[in-house]
Amino acid sequence: MDVLLGLAGESALLPSRIQMAFTLATHVLLVPLGVAFPTLTLVMEGIGIARNDPVALRIARRWSVVMAVQFAVGAVTGTILSFEFGILWPRLMGRFGAALGLGFAIEGLAFFLEAIFIGIYLYGWKRLAPKTHFLLGLVLPPSGVLGTFAVLSANSFMNTPAGITVLEGRVIDIDAAATLFTESIGYEFWHFMVALYMTAGFAVASVYAVGWLRGRRDHYQRLAFAVPFTIAAALTPVQLVVGDLSARALVEDQQAKFAAMEITWATRDHNPEVIGGVIDDSGQIHFGVVVPELDSLLVGYSPNAVIRGLSTFAVDARPTIVEANITHLAFDVMVGLGLVGAALASSYFWVLARRRRLPEGVWFYRLAACAGVGCYVAVEMGWITTEVGRQPWIVYGLMRVSDAVTDAPASYVWTMLATLVVVYALLAYFFVTLLVKLAARWRREDLAPEVGAPYGPRPERLEARG
Amino acid sequence: MADLIALVLLLAITAYSTAGGVDFGAGIWDLLAGTSSRGRQARALIDHAMAPVWEVNNVWLVLSIVLCWTAFPSLFEATFSSLYPLFTLALLGLILRGAFFAFRHVADDPRSHRIADVVFGVSSVLTPFFFAASLGAIASGRVGSGTPLEASFNPMTVAFGVVSVAATAFSGASFLVGDARRYEAPEMVAYFQRRVVAAGTALIATGTGALIVIASQAPSLLRSMLTGPGLPFALLTMVLTPVVTALVWRGIFRWYRISTVAAVGSLVFAWGFAQAPYLLPDRLTIAQAIAPPATQFVLLLVAAGVVILAVPAMGVLYYLDQRSTLESPQA
Repeated sequence: MDVLLGLAGESALLPSRIQMAFTLATHVLLVPLGVAFPTLTLVMEGIGIARNDPVALRIARRWSVVMAVQFAVGAVTGTILSFEFGILWPRLMGRFGAALGLGFAIEGLAFFLEAIFIGIYLYGWKRLAPKTHFLLGLVLPPSGVLGTFAVLSANSFMNTPAGITVLEGRVIDIDAAATLFTESIGYEFWHFMVALYMTAGFAVASVYAVGWLRGRRDHYQRLAFAVPFTIAAALTPVQLVVGDLSARALVEDQQAKFAAMEITWATRDHNPEVIGGVIDDSGQIHFGVVVPELDSLLVGYSPNAVIRGLSTFAVDARPTIVEANITHLAFDVMVGLGLVGAALASSYFWVLARRRRLPEGVWFYRLAACAGVGCYVAVEMGWITTEVGRQPWIVYGLMRVSDAVTDAPASYVWTMLATLVVVYALLAYFFVTLLVKLAARWRREDLAPEVGAPYGPRPERLEARG
Repeated sequence: MADLIALVLLLAITAYSTAGGVDFGAGIWDLLAGTSSRGRQARALIDHAMAPVWEVNNVWLVLSIVLCWTAFPSLFEATFSSLYPLFTLALLGLILRGAFFAFRHVADDPRSHRIADVVFGVSSVLTPFFFAASLGAIASGRVGSGTPLEASFNPMTVAFGVVSVAATAFSGASFLVGDARRYEAPEMVAYFQRRVVAAGTALIATGTGALIVIASQAPSLLRSMLTGPGLPFALLTMVLTPVVTALVWRGIFRWYRISTVAAVGSLVFAWGFAQAPYLLPDRLTIAQAIAPPATQFVLLLVAAGVVILAVPAMGVLYYLDQRSTLESPQA
């Protein structure tokens, strides 16, 4: 019976890692809009109220519908993740649940507030006075920030665990503050927070950049492009600084990860920066552009700055060569995309400052149309950098991924993974179809934007659908 | 303090069983509505009733899970190591349900509409079944002793699962009566009145059956349910279920929804209190599994936050839901 149902067999480590990576990679795509879209919408609503501009209010109201639908999808993928901690990594939670759970419990509260206030925001368009509606909406951005902090706090605990006393494999005492605010929370939080707002801004703006390229250039389009794009573009230089600070903090806090990011094999000063390229298991670097001394210069502002190499870590306590290469390439792609974004942002502000109007070049809008996707790729790459760079540890130095995995057989997890891939594909298809249909309907006729959305106020009368 | 946190966990599970139960129940009636013109009308009512809440109830589920692994890590590890088959199936139901509820609003042609309806309906039956089955597995005492297969599929899990399907159908029908009254659709009121009676009867029958199963599989749990701290709640659900059924049957629409919630909630409480102080019968007590004090303190703060911030906000949402309607397409 066990064999028949696939409940016997080898270790499920590989499929569990793939499944976690797949579901997290999907969820992370929904996070930027989940956290930052409410702020963009509120800014737009604020403009609408302050300038008495019905177009801005219409944009805000339509955005709120998209926000709610995407929040519902994120709620489903997030729920799946919380179950996967139990299904795939029961030992992680058994050992560290009391510490990791602190962040998640706070996230639970934040999630609760978001769910309710998104509902209130959606229902309140008709029912509340504009200012009350706006003020109630102001609960959403801080809830998003709180939730993001809480989840990152759990993640930073995995990177730089602190605040726990372990006896015979059991956490017997906890210092809540030290556990919630570990060394890496500062840079992880700011780096990701800024990334979320940039991504949301560029992603929303990219929709209207496409509209511009297709010839739609009225007040509606220009406003809906300019507000999110300006916010995202203003944050791009901030991100360069925050990102740089984060990377340099890793040199001390997470040395093995930093060595993997820079594929530094032996500890040395005058360390070159390898752009692109891969390392082999003898420490030789292939392909890529090697810039002499640059890594040491970036890290310590001096060619004499010493960087610790991967080879100084025990083989079973550092990323494998493949993992190091993945970490390195993901990091390089993220940095590269950040620099492209900075160039786009500077050209935008250049035109804005010099000519007091939005740019009009086709190439600007082509790039702007790609900026959203570029940001999503950068977020994924950053996440790969921090997760793959921590391998083989699930909680750094305390528990290996292979010690946390379920006893369920590999065939079981493979089956679950295959099923999830199919279901997620369906979910993505429905989600995109729904958004495309809503957009088409909004262009066609000026109905209440909530008509046809699966979430929001109900119609006045009961009508059987076709 | 440990007992208080266990109570908070039980309350979160109960909130999901009652609030989520209404939602799942509506899905079950959607499945059974058929394709007649009256069935279509019922389905439209269900759609309108659910639109405001779909997936918001997930909050309670996520809170329960997070509370479980944070407050009682060893309970969480043991439960998921044993019952992962049940949780996987419940989870699958949950995603399919959410996805196909949204898809109903996207589908153009009748055939894909029909498929969406069926998947949505079937997953509305399976999800509560498997979630409740996991509670049955815990109550059976097989978590951590038998193989995952034995722990996940046995008479107790089936009994709990079946009762939960009846209970969700019952709460779903009861709240749909209310929605039909709000939309002033007398035909639909009568339609769901009959379904409250049917589901109430089914709940009484399956509940009695479950007691027999518990008597044979976990006699000490039954003893505690009938003589110990579970008794008041067991009594309450045994009284309230027939009372609600009778009230709705006679068309007396007073207190019937709150009583429905109380009946279903007491069902969960009867199990929880009967099992206390054990989290896993005869294996793991609340005191053994509880996390260190600092964690308990943070959890209570979060629980207080939910009560102080989220509950009043929920009241506002409910008020707006009752008051706000979309402007109709002609307007």
